[in-house]
Amino acid sequence: MIEPFLSIRDLRKAFGGFVAVQDVTIDIQKGEFLTFLGPSGSGKSTTLYAIAGFQQPTSGDVLLEGRSLLSVPSHKRNIGMVFQRYTLFQHLTVAENVAFPLRVRRRPDAEVNRKVAEMLSLVRLESFGGRYPGALSGGQQQRVALARALAYDPPILLMDEPLSALDKKLREEIQAEIRRIHRETGVTILYVTHDQDEALHLSDRIALFRDGRIEQIGTGEDLYLRPQSEFVASFIGNSNFLPAEHLETVNGAATIRLADGSVVFGVRIDQEFSQGQKTRLMVRPEAFRLRPGAATAGLAVEFIDTAFFGERRRVIARTAAGQEIDVRPTSDMAQAHEGIASSRQIFFDPAAAFLFPA
Amino acid sequence: MSGNLLHRPSILRRPDGIGGAFPALVLIILFFVVPVVGLLLRSVTEPVPGLQNYATLFGDGTYARVFFNTFLVATVVTAVTVVVAFPVAWMLAIMPPALGSIVFGIIILSMWTNLLTRTYAWMVLLQRTGVINRTLMDIGLISEPLPLINNLTGVTIGMVYIMLPFMILPLVGTLRAIDPMTLRAAALCGASPFDAFRRILLPLSLPGIAAGGLMVFVMSLGYFVTPTLLGGTSNMMLAAMIAQMIQSLLNWGLGSAAAFILLLVTMALYALQLRLVGAKRTTGGI
Repeated sequence: MIEPFLSIRDLRKAFGGFVAVQDVTIDIQKGEFLTFLGPSGSGKSTTLYAIAGFQQPTSGDVLLEGRSLLSVPSHKRNIGMVFQRYTLFQHLTVAENVAFPLRVRRRPDAEVNRKVAEMLSLVRLESFGGRYPGALSGGQQQRVALARALAYDPPILLMDEPLSALDKKLREEIQAEIRRIHRETGVTILYVTHDQDEALHLSDRIALFRDGRIEQIGTGEDLYLRPQSEFVASFIGNSNFLPAEHLETVNGAATIRLADGSVVFGVRIDQEFSQGQKTRLMVRPEAFRLRPGAATAGLAVEFIDTAFFGERRRVIARTAAGQEIDVRPTSDMAQAHEGIASSRQIFFDPAAAFLFPA
Repeated sequence: MSGNLLHRPSILRRPDGIGGAFPALVLIILFFVVPVVGLLLRSVTEPVPGLQNYATLFGDGTYARVFFNTFLVATVVTAVTVVVAFPVAWMLAIMPPALGSIVFGIIILSMWTNLLTRTYAWMVLLQRTGVINRTLMDIGLISEPLPLINNLTGVTIGMVYIMLPFMILPLVGTLRAIDPMTLRAAALCGASPFDAFRRILLPLSLPGIAAGGLMVFVMSLGYFVTPTLLGGTSNMMLAAMIAQMIQSLLNWGLGSAAAFILLLVTMALYALQLRLVGAKRTTGGI
């Protein structure tokens, strides 16, 4: 077992009676890109602030290479950070902003100049050194903030929703930049976002936060393909939840009865259910097929509406029990289009569906 | 910049652009320009035409001392006011708005309380047997009463107190515009609290300090009541001297000359600030 580079142990932060973060334990390896994902108020930023030293945790510890950071003030933690809002120093030029962390460390001029040039070239703003932040676009400002945060080669880079103020196109562009910079510098990145696409796109691992706790931690694939709770299933990717009654479990495969009375065999489960327990069956919209395959279950629906999304078509269907579900078949697009207002069967693989307690 | 303004059609098209300002212009000429010109004329015509009043003011050691005193007090008061006002303004800027407006209200309220009342209150506090001296002696910090009144110390204390709101108000405006996250960013960059203050907060708040500082300095130069009551006779300031020249000595020529010098200095300082702020606007990125 390699000793973790950065380790968060049993972190808890309470503001008066309100517990913002509890039971948060994560080990982060050197060079890893870990994202804290979750809705607002789920404790992801509070956890990040505890690492940055802006908030002292109520209990628990933050260890960098085995040494606790808690007694170290922010300005001695040697951590880089990019913030949600533009926090460039407005009275300094771009080059002076990037030089700032080196100046306060009293590094020699030659080193400062070399490093500033290197950083500006890393974020591809070589010709902007003499400008003031006010004359830069939002995306350029965040790139300068990134250069400033990396100028002193911090072992850890914290990013607190750095792209949330930018428009979609710019966000994607800077996401690519962040990936490239992570690759080129090998810096360990802790990234906070509420945007699941951003998390899936950028991260090695994702810690999904809910109500101050980590609901599940793993790779994007883990969270998408093997969600451990209904919350994870609904937060990552799109999902339909069909009310169902658990009938029996044989060899880890459950038999359930859906609201329309149809019985589905072979649903994979990770937990115990009692007979007759109320459950919810989660099926991803893209798991539905318009034609039956091997080992598929059928569902009687009526197509209500379709919308074209380029690579796939989205269909709104209504089940026999009256529930509207989201269907995104990967093939048979033309058929889906023709089939409006017609009653039909759609199919899914029960082994790729998940059963959660209701 | 001014060229742009002239070419903006909306301004040219406004029919009452200059005409609308006419009544105000008449008021200013009638009640400001005419008296000032009268003042200037008196200073060079009384008792006989010539510049002898200015020669007296600049040549006489007594008058020079009053000028020196005045500038010294104004400078010290401005400096102390900046130092005292900055933490208050910073606190106001980062306070929760509800609490902030209460503190703000208290500061404004003190401004609206009668000036004489407040100055007499300071006389009571600062005198040899006043609350401050007695408390300090009771707790054993001093054995003799400190000379807090009838000297420049008394003037500085009383004036700083009166000038504080004029410094706090513009400073709060400037400080509120600074995102506190900027300081957190500075801290993570490795800046100690002192570094963050010196390299980030202070430069960013300079426009507010300049605006408040000019206001306080100019007001202090011409202040009459507080220096007279708290400063005693040996530390006369310009305003008191002008009053004495005109009221007691009936020397209108010399008094006018002194007042005119004060006006010139004030206008020069204002012009300087306009220049500095104007320059900042065109080159700075703010």
